[in-house]
Amino acid sequence: MSKTIHLKVNGKPHTLEAEPGTMLLYLLREQLGLHGPKFGCGLSQCGACTIHLDGAAVRSCVLPATAAEGRAITTLEGLGSVDKPNPLQQAFIDEQAVQCGYCINGMIMTAQAFLDTHPNPSRDDIKQALNGNLCRCGTHMRIVRAVERAAKNGRQAS
Amino acid sequence: MNARPESTSATSDISDFGASRRQFLKTSGGLVLGFSLLGPMAALAQQPATRLPASATGGAQTFAGVDPARLDAWLAIHPDNTATLFTGKVEQGNGSPNALAQIAAEELDFPFDKLFVVMGTTTSTVDQGPTYGSMAVRYAGPQIRHAAAAGRQVLLSMASKRLHVPVEQLTVRDGVISVVGVPKRSVTYGELVDGKRLDMTIGATGKTFDMKVAPDAKLKDPSKYTIVGTSVPRKDIPGKVTGEFTYVHDVKVPGMLHGRVVRPYGIESDLLSVDESGLKDIPGFVAVVRRRNFLGVVAKTEWGAIKAAEKLGSKRVRKGPADGQAKWSDWQGLPATADDLWQTLRDASGKVITVAKRGDVDAALGKGVKTLKATYRTPFETHGSIGPELAIADVGKGYAKFWAGTQMPHQARRDMAELLDLPVENVEVNWVEASGQYGRNGLEPVMADAAIMSRAVGRPVRVQWMRWDSHGWDPKEPPIVQDLEGALDAAGNVVAWRHHMWVPTMSNTRLLASELIGKPVGKVNLGDAAIKYEYQFDSADVVAHGESRVGVITAWMRAPGQFETTFAMESFIDELAAAARQDPLAFRLKHLKEPRAIAVLEAAAKQYGWKSRPSFPGKQAGRKTTGRGIAWVNRDGSFVATIADVVVDRDTGGIWVKRVVVAHDCGLVISPDGMRNQIEGNVIQSISRTLHEEITFDRAHVTSRDWASYPILTFNEIPDSIEMVFVNNSAEYPSNGGGEPSTCPTAAVISNAVYDATGVRLRQKPFRKERVKVALARA
Repeated sequence: MSKTIHLKVNGKPHTLEAEPGTMLLYLLREQLGLHGPKFGCGLSQCGACTIHLDGAAVRSCVLPATAAEGRAITTLEGLGSVDKPNPLQQAFIDEQAVQCGYCINGMIMTAQAFLDTHPNPSRDDIKQALNGNLCRCGTHMRIVRAVERAAKNGRQAS
Repeated sequence: MNARPESTSATSDISDFGASRRQFLKTSGGLVLGFSLLGPMAALAQQPATRLPASATGGAQTFAGVDPARLDAWLAIHPDNTATLFTGKVEQGNGSPNALAQIAAEELDFPFDKLFVVMGTTTSTVDQGPTYGSMAVRYAGPQIRHAAAAGRQVLLSMASKRLHVPVEQLTVRDGVISVVGVPKRSVTYGELVDGKRLDMTIGATGKTFDMKVAPDAKLKDPSKYTIVGTSVPRKDIPGKVTGEFTYVHDVKVPGMLHGRVVRPYGIESDLLSVDESGLKDIPGFVAVVRRRNFLGVVAKTEWGAIKAAEKLGSKRVRKGPADGQAKWSDWQGLPATADDLWQTLRDASGKVITVAKRGDVDAALGKGVKTLKATYRTPFETHGSIGPELAIADVGKGYAKFWAGTQMPHQARRDMAELLDLPVENVEVNWVEASGQYGRNGLEPVMADAAIMSRAVGRPVRVQWMRWDSHGWDPKEPPIVQDLEGALDAAGNVVAWRHHMWVPTMSNTRLLASELIGKPVGKVNLGDAAIKYEYQFDSADVVAHGESRVGVITAWMRAPGQFETTFAMESFIDELAAAARQDPLAFRLKHLKEPRAIAVLEAAAKQYGWKSRPSFPGKQAGRKTTGRGIAWVNRDGSFVATIADVVVDRDTGGIWVKRVVVAHDCGLVISPDGMRNQIEGNVIQSISRTLHEEITFDRAHVTSRDWASYPILTFNEIPDSIEMVFVNNSAEYPSNGGGEPSTCPTAAVISNAVYDATGVRLRQKPFRKERVKVALARA
């Protein structure tokens, strides 16, 4: 039996019908047509599906959609756009910190939540914050540099 | 927020061609297009009514290819003076569209940022061969270069007529042709072409990699290059960092259903029974698809398909052949232990490939002052793309359409035709970028899964593998075992060298689903030598035993086989250098003649600050010890030397690769930052393969079916720095491949550096902590 689920995604309310156990990732992608969060493992091991739930980075592949009701869901699309990337997204562009890019959603969503609470991180802090996110192409060096750049730009702006 | 329609149809998309490019990209966000780099007019020109979902038309369809002898097979110029380059090569995360577009823009004298690239789709691109083996720029580059140069000549002669001056009095800049000395008398490419197709003949002979295009085209003098050799930003990155980019995983086709596979319990288990009870209670459940040993489920929602597949037995850990509502025979045919695997490799049947035969090795071994013997072992590895394999198939009466990220859309088209008993003309593959590929992962096999399910249910079906399907069943890099023997004379020169390797097939292209339904499609080729032997030893006996299939399906993975053979060759020469108490760089150099090999070794040494000394000067005090290692490779004409510093933790056995220096000679570098991105990727991935990666199995199937059981390198383990030097980066040296070569030296470099730090040789990958700790304790 499907159930009515109320979600607030990137500031907009949505009313969806879904089987109660459905993980949030599938509703974001299938019903809301979002491309940011991605299916990688379904096991909370790789981070490709990462979103923000009330500002914290969480893995949407293992988060029942019902558990996200009444909370603020933000996806990669909610941070910025091609026309107006947010500072962290811009830093990834500036560092050309992408190979295939499939993991990048998780990298940015994880790093953004981290920078929001740690504006002045060391390189080791950044590595530690991203240690649970997997990249297979080997873009790690550039990803770390992009986060460092965003942190530096953020400090200069504030 | 970007605008993205919640439901889409192909027709609404086509109707939007009048809009601006930005608008076009936005509205096509959820759609069936692979055109994220494509101008609107190009899409219109190249995508006729066949873009409609085939099922909507209800009848047989044919899909014409393009004629490589015509200019419009390669190039379209649009009225707004943008252009589109069409290529049968595809993007796999390497940035090849940038490099190929730079080559085209250069010859065309056209602004790079106004040139878009369409890749792979079988109805709109030439079959330039699969995108593998570091061969995109090397082979497709000259084809595109010639086509673009021919295009420039065509446009100049059109302008000559329009402006009433001879071609010799015309000049081109940024896609605008003007009369020399009279800049006002000018016309743009877009005005000249006026929305028409460039249907003139430029000539082409041969096929795929060997195709020669527009042989008479006058090429630009490389000394005048302004675009080739510069680092231009990749056009896909803004979309990828904002979620606006459309991967094949994001494609939706009208009427599409979701499929999941349920693989056999054992590699060769037979399907005995399927209990479908309870499946109908899953919301959206549509059907079980069963053909002999192929089993899949189809549902209206992805979650429904996942739950249905789970009931039948699709899960990370399977406890037995009856774990789930599908029951399988209890096949137990894989080697019982790791030791059995090495013997199985030696016992497999195949062919003998002689790589080098010089002098009398046995006699020289007998006369040597010092002789050494060693065996090197490397395991099965998985590609492990972060996004599991996915394809969409729409198979109806007399046609089949695919949306797929395959590295070989044109070959996949032929394979799908064979699988489905359709003429090739009735099959179309729409190429859309997937998660990164590092060889033949499951992106072709998953097309067969989708085809079988779509035909069974009569609707388009999107099939994505679960993580355990990918780790468990993608074609694997094969395990290899190698025996080496060498001898030194009194002066410390190598007088005998023997290297025998047992290499199972690296090109088994059998589509798994085709085997499961009992109608095999794809070839099982024997193994390969995968080595380039350059050392000038007095006697040498280098032989590859190219064996057939061993256990699971194995195919190519980044620098297939040569990652492993370089590990053995470049570690063993280090063993000989150490035995001779000579500096390992000097020891290599004195046995080499090839100037490009010598050049990369010397360039790496210079960048590193190499000081001559033998390895392992003595035991270091303390828990953490440091060492340096060197190795090099000739991968199909690209030369790479790598030097690294490692830190070994004696207590834990942990290895940290701290600093990496790479000297890289692939000839002229088209896109320097793109190449650096590739080298960094090769280095990181090959460190990961060296330190961590190994497929495990029981007697029935692969057991390392997730990221916990198949760990890869994490951020905490990355080097402090990767320094890169380009060697022979000039037009005298034609552009060669850069997608793989810098993978090859890494395992040897790390093994040699660990020896330098500890005096202990690691001869079996991966160098996991537990194994290293045992090896250190034994020393």
